[in-house]
Amino acid sequence: MDYDALAVELRWLRENVTGVTDTVIAASDGIPIIADVAKNVEPAHISALAAADLGIARQAAEVIGLGALTQTVVFGTEGYMAVYAVGRMSLMVALGDKGLNLGRLLHESRPVVERVSSILTS
Amino acid sequence: MLADALTRCHQDRVTGTLRVLGNAGGLFHLRDGVVIAVDSPGSPGADTLLLSSGRISAEDWTAALVESVGTRSVRAALVARGSIGSAEVEVVALAALQDAAFAVAAGDIEQCVVSGDSAEVTPLAVDEGIGPDLLLSETARRLDVVASLPVPVSPYRDRVVAVSGVGVSTAERREIVAHATGRRTARDIAFAVGRGVYPVVVEISRMLSEELLEIASPATSFSFSHGDLTSLRPRAEVTEVERPV
Repeated sequence: MDYDALAVELRWLRENVTGVTDTVIAASDGIPIIADVAKNVEPAHISALAAADLGIARQAAEVIGLGALTQTVVFGTEGYMAVYAVGRMSLMVALGDKGLNLGRLLHESRPVVERVSSILTS
Repeated sequence: MLADALTRCHQDRVTGTLRVLGNAGGLFHLRDGVVIAVDSPGSPGADTLLLSSGRISAEDWTAALVESVGTRSVRAALVARGSIGSAEVEVVALAALQDAAFAVAAGDIEQCVVSGDSAEVTPLAVDEGIGPDLLLSETARRLDVVASLPVPVSPYRDRVVAVSGVGVSTAERREIVAHATGRRTARDIAFAVGRGVYPVVVEISRMLSEELLEIASPATSFSFSHGDLTSLRPRAEVTEVERPV
């Protein structure tokens, strides 16, 4: 697996979207693939939570008839956790502080998800 | 580009918003052409400044948000609760407005879009508002100050880390040092400590020149770690490999 190429994508996201603090790419079963996180953040925990979060959101989208799930965002008073489906096999997580430019994140992350998907499947 | 857009809004006496697309970007709230509030992901809002300084409690803020749904004025709801005076809110709201204008101007600006639609919820607004001339000159002054600092600091690009074993004197500095992990920019630290981004940038520059902080290396700023997953697809094969118990 080309970890360097994945690192480039994660770094780009944190440098270009104000407020992104940590990023993780994981398999959809919650096994971490690559992480760029602060010392107090455990990639395995984030990956597991994100996998569960994405699974529930995906199920909700299917049951309610919202089409294919692309992303789900947790809003907290102190920050955000955005989880993106990267195909059916993996996911990407972006954690943000309370000032996160969420609109920009949702916009900028689309091409990143596309590229991450092709890196993971190549 | 920002100056032109704000001046045009003033001439047209726009009531609505001027959305600045970019990084950090931001949203200028206007009434009759004067700026009454600015929101930016680049600087902590008035609510953060009020909460972090202990002027209001999180409970009061949450309650004021709920009460303001009908009236659309968080400020009126906050003052009505009696926890803070109107004049104090005005001072903090003005500080947050000027800080956000600086945060927008210090970042990349891609496009400015004016919308006459005032459906956007205005955050804690400055009553009288501030004319674009005054706001732009104050913003230009702050950009000049930052550009002429002894050690230049980019609020969005430079990530700083504390120099180990050096003691700092004031509580404000100790707080900055505590959050200077090497992953955070000046803007990130401003959010973490709940202070304006402009004063934090200035303070960080001074601390860099006094060698209390240093610019972090890319290896500290971006700490990539990965497991031993070789691929997503052949996971089944991996499980067949003998693993140490």
